[in-house]
Amino acid sequence: MTTRNPEATGPENLQKLHDDLSDVWGNPRGLKALTIVNHTTLGLRFMVTGMAFFLIGGILAMLIRTQIATPDQNFLTPDIYSQVTTMHGTVMMFLFAIPILEGLAIYMIPKMIGARDLVCPRLTALGYWCYLFGGIILCFSMVLEMAPDSGWFMYTPLSSSEYSPGLGSDFWLLGITFVEISALSAGVELVVSILRTRTQGMALHKMPLFAWYILAMALMIVVGFPPLILGSILLELERAVGMPFFDIAGGGDPVLWQHLFWLFGHPEVYIIFLPAAGIVSTIIPVFAGRPIVGYGWVVFAITVMGFVSFGLWVHHMFTVGIPQLAQAFFSAASMLVAIPTGIQIFAWLATLWLGKPKMKLPMLWIVGFLVIFVCGGLTGVMLALVPFNWQVHDTHFVVAHMHYVLVGGMLFPLMAGIYYWLPLFSGRMPSETIGKWGFWLVFIGFNATFLIMHWTGLLGMPRRVYTYDTGFGWDIFNLLSSVGSFVMSAGFAMVLIDIALHFRYGKPAKTNPWNADTLEWANQLPPSPYNFVSLPPVETRHPLWEHPELPQQMQEGKHGLAAADHGRRELWGTDPLTGKVREIIHLPGNSWWPLFAAMALAVVCISLLLRWYPVAGVGVLIAIGFLLRWSWENGAHPRAAPDAKVMPGDPPLHSRTMDGPGLWAMTTAMIANGSFFLSYLFGWFYLWTVSPGWRMPDASPLSLVALVVAGVALLGGSALMESSVSKLRKQQDSGLAMRLYGAAILGALQFALILWVMWRADLAVTETSHDAILMVGLYYALLHSALGAVISLLQGMRVGYRYVGVHAPFEPVVVAYFWRYNAVVFWMLIVALAVLPRVIGS
Amino acid sequence: MKAIIQRLHLTHPGHFVGGLTLWSIWFITIYGGLSVACAVAPPDPAQGALTSINISLLLLSLLTALLLAGLAWGCFQEAKMHEGRRHFNAFVSAWLYVFSAGGVMFVAGPMVGLPPCL
Amino acid sequence: MRERYLYHVASLCIQRAVTRRVNRLTYVSLVVLLGLTGCAGDKSILDPAGQAARDVVLIWWIMLTFATVVFIGVIALWLYAFKRKHQERTPQQERKIARRWIVGGGILLPVFSVSALLIFGVPTGKRMLPLPLSEPPEVIEVIGHQWWWEVRYPGAEGGEVVTSNQLIMPAGEPVDFHVTSADVIHAFWVPRLGGKIDMLPGRVNVIRLEADEPGIFGAQCAEFCGAQHAHMNLYVEAVEREEYEAWLADRQEERLAELAIANENFTQARETFASTCAACHSVAGLSSSSIGPDLSDIGARYTLGAGVLPMEEGAIHYWLENHQTLKPSNKMPPHDYMDTATLESLGAWLETLTP
Repeated sequence: MTTRNPEATGPENLQKLHDDLSDVWGNPRGLKALTIVNHTTLGLRFMVTGMAFFLIGGILAMLIRTQIATPDQNFLTPDIYSQVTTMHGTVMMFLFAIPILEGLAIYMIPKMIGARDLVCPRLTALGYWCYLFGGIILCFSMVLEMAPDSGWFMYTPLSSSEYSPGLGSDFWLLGITFVEISALSAGVELVVSILRTRTQGMALHKMPLFAWYILAMALMIVVGFPPLILGSILLELERAVGMPFFDIAGGGDPVLWQHLFWLFGHPEVYIIFLPAAGIVSTIIPVFAGRPIVGYGWVVFAITVMGFVSFGLWVHHMFTVGIPQLAQAFFSAASMLVAIPTGIQIFAWLATLWLGKPKMKLPMLWIVGFLVIFVCGGLTGVMLALVPFNWQVHDTHFVVAHMHYVLVGGMLFPLMAGIYYWLPLFSGRMPSETIGKWGFWLVFIGFNATFLIMHWTGLLGMPRRVYTYDTGFGWDIFNLLSSVGSFVMSAGFAMVLIDIALHFRYGKPAKTNPWNADTLEWANQLPPSPYNFVSLPPVETRHPLWEHPELPQQMQEGKHGLAAADHGRRELWGTDPLTGKVREIIHLPGNSWWPLFAAMALAVVCISLLLRWYPVAGVGVLIAIGFLLRWSWENGAHPRAAPDAKVMPGDPPLHSRTMDGPGLWAMTTAMIANGSFFLSYLFGWFYLWTVSPGWRMPDASPLSLVALVVAGVALLGGSALMESSVSKLRKQQDSGLAMRLYGAAILGALQFALILWVMWRADLAVTETSHDAILMVGLYYALLHSALGAVISLLQGMRVGYRYVGVHAPFEPVVVAYFWRYNAVVFWMLIVALAVLPRVIGS
Repeated sequence: MKAIIQRLHLTHPGHFVGGLTLWSIWFITIYGGLSVACAVAPPDPAQGALTSINISLLLLSLLTALLLAGLAWGCFQEAKMHEGRRHFNAFVSAWLYVFSAGGVMFVAGPMVGLPPCL
Repeated sequence: MRERYLYHVASLCIQRAVTRRVNRLTYVSLVVLLGLTGCAGDKSILDPAGQAARDVVLIWWIMLTFATVVFIGVIALWLYAFKRKHQERTPQQERKIARRWIVGGGILLPVFSVSALLIFGVPTGKRMLPLPLSEPPEVIEVIGHQWWWEVRYPGAEGGEVVTSNQLIMPAGEPVDFHVTSADVIHAFWVPRLGGKIDMLPGRVNVIRLEADEPGIFGAQCAEFCGAQHAHMNLYVEAVEREEYEAWLADRQEERLAELAIANENFTQARETFASTCAACHSVAGLSSSSIGPDLSDIGARYTLGAGVLPMEEGAIHYWLENHQTLKPSNKMPPHDYMDTATLESLGAWLETLTP
């Protein structure tokens, strides 16, 4: 089943094969380049855009260091300084670190696991556009001198409308939420791609470690970002509408914001660190010339980090006044992270120890990473100790620690990775000399800046002060730090020049130039849009070491899916555990919808900023229209896979089965949605139990009867969806459309009932946080009921067009999953919002 | 016992996340439980660490750690019986259960010495 | 007290270090040893003046020593791994070596380190907890404002005493600070006495600190609180118990009220105050508003504008004229509608408010 024309791979046939593949996968030029959905192109776009934002963030850092180089400086006004520090943190975290690593993962993952693209190519494109537009909107605020100025953590009440009356906080909240669409969409599709599209035979325990790291990172994004999205929505509602979630006077609590922010913010540090560590685990074995030592241990460490990092958030809040025993839990949990970190560092050490390490340019950056990261890790353990933390929290000591961890743990491995994969990006080798100069300048400049800063912090200098008096002994150290920071930026300038020059002057790279073991080096240098002519069976962790002839064979079309005359973009859909081929996944081609949808969302974002709510409403409807149109072009639609014919012996197309990547993407998306929902429940119970000014009416304003009837309608709709699916499983599609329409009607009934509950409850959303948070819960349910009804309705229509039916049974399965989620969540909501208050009382 | 172990499919990589999921649930329970207990009925600070809150949290932690240790033991048994993929899965899961059990005891440690609500 | 302050401003860092007692010498020598001869100003964590801060510094030096050893060890091993000659080994041997590194370095080393840290570190924090004492400690309330400090002494004999931007506390005994905020989140931190605690609107946090002996300590808001976060300094001084009580007695409301109207040369200034400043500031006997700092004893303070200017003759007038340049965005409106003579006499009157 693997090979199309095993005998017929002569030169002409091979040429035709390449031409066919190029026709199907090729990137258009000119204006149509905006429709590209290919992961190679989009991965590069992500990385280049990320680099541009890195330069912006770097310039902001230089402004900061100039202002505090000497005491009593007047280089920046206090207001501008606050904007600059806020934007430095925001740009580096949200617009540089995460997107550039996502870009790398988007670029690398399909190539490493032997696939031709990610499973949701249009989602990749949507993610990119949301990132680009969101980033531009956010940075544009600086041009207007209206940038957010309450710190990148946006603590309320400083960021609330009373203390930050301008548009700054709104730029942050709306812009960041917009950018997060891109993080989440990349998270979802990376999870599904890694689990379901590895090439034939690549069992879970045989996949490259980089894929493990990215899998963990993607799952962490999926779980970790929703709390911040919820927090941002609540804070924006407070600012724009006056719903007092974080306002003491209205029964809200500013500490709730801190919980939601750090529930995201701490995992984020590991979301940044894990892919970077993945780069380290990829590069070290290559330059040590042997497999990594302790593959299983590293998988262990990745898993532990992925989980434990969610149990640390309170260590950013040790001075908030939480009981010391509770702090001790988080303190101990923070220290636990030392174990997986230690395991990785010593696994890398053992690999070098047992191998024949060569000190090439990428390895230089890896050693730089080690020195800086170990130092940052050690100060991290110190900071986990509560009494010490009480002293140095919010001083320059923490600034130093954080930069050691983030620059050491992310930027240095990233530079190593960029140098390592340069031949793949450009087909040329980096130069060793300029690169080394760049490295040493960055390394020395970095340590000069931040090693000293630990000391400044211990001498008592707080963070985020725009000026300081002479006489505290801080002057000379600040000056040295500033000098160091300029050395570091000179180093980065050199690195960037080196990279730019190499595109022109670098030596052309030969195949697999570093003698690496992973599949991405089986690509042409630089790669074609379809990556591989044929997809090989891989049953080892080191395919290119054990089968050096593999790249050649793949190029000659000697392996799987070596045909494109059917006009479909195809790759293997494999079993997540064993890597056995299950189906052929066909992917959508280039499309305008992602760009259009992102543009509509940008209009929404801007009109919310300007408080043009009617325009925002219209924008939302248009964006939904685009997205639904996008979902229309799936399955048996003429633009997707109208013809289900496959070669004899090959598995069916995924849209002709009951299982496919869409189902997995829906599940992953519902994990994200569930995380959002649980964050909401956390907010509700938190305000209820902890908020100092909480006011709750004696009788719940929500009509329990109406909610229960709505819940029953929802269960009915869900049951109809399930029966549709089980009938399809039995090859029956009579009455399918009626059942789908029935579900849609029940969804509409649920929608109407929730509306009625909202209207009857007569909530004073600007008066009390109780009413405000209830309203948010009801809106959540309302949107879900509407979505359920609409997608079931569309499915019913698709049955009429013959896009869905026994011949193409896939989509109702996906929709049924959504209904299932909806039913569980809605009943939880009824219990939490309407039943418990009646049982426990206020 | 054997039947239970078989039921659990300890060679499935789902167990990679099993131990730490239990750890997380336990963690949320003790943190949430402590917060609610302190909001509802804070004990007299003079009592020090030996309060009903600390004792019940400690007991819960011990039980969780025992459960996790049992699962770790089961995974080690399975790991011995298999090779290749199944061995790998069971073995990594086993150590993850060990870590989770140790993590429970480590994080629960301060309950011995610190008063609950100050 | 005033002389002490002037001395404090004038004296150079090195002189101060030398005049301190022997236990400071250890610290100074460490500083010199590290080649970092910077001055440990009066906000330095490394120069503790109370037991809680001293415990933390001790932990810091121990942690630093241990971390340095680990750091050098790990880096040396890595670099050595590059240099050493490669030996061919059987897979069994390799597995043994690998396990030794991962279990020894990756598991045992961190487990040992963090356990030791937790066992020795956690009890340290207990000192700053408001545990019940046989004799209830002195309570001082500190309220953060954008960008100044309100300090209240609810336990003062004869009635509550209120002041701003200065905190006088008794030395040699534990003091409970009840901190909160009137607007955004601030943080209360006297680095030489102990850890910091956030000042949250709607909540009262308590931290217990103790100064070993009389002295002056710097303090600054530690949580970013807006444009003038940098200029939110608090003058902290610990004095002997009797001096403390005398200081409080001097600030009883009726005494302050007498003081405010004592000097007859300033009738005009008092009228100006009543018609403009009184909307935000209080001076005992004349007005009561806590929008801005209480000014009843402003003449006796050591700084102006929460640490922007040292208090000296003419300083208040200078501040009234230039406060928006000295501390941009502060909440006091500019006084460009008043003539210099008015401001001058206002300043001169306020300077007489020295109980």
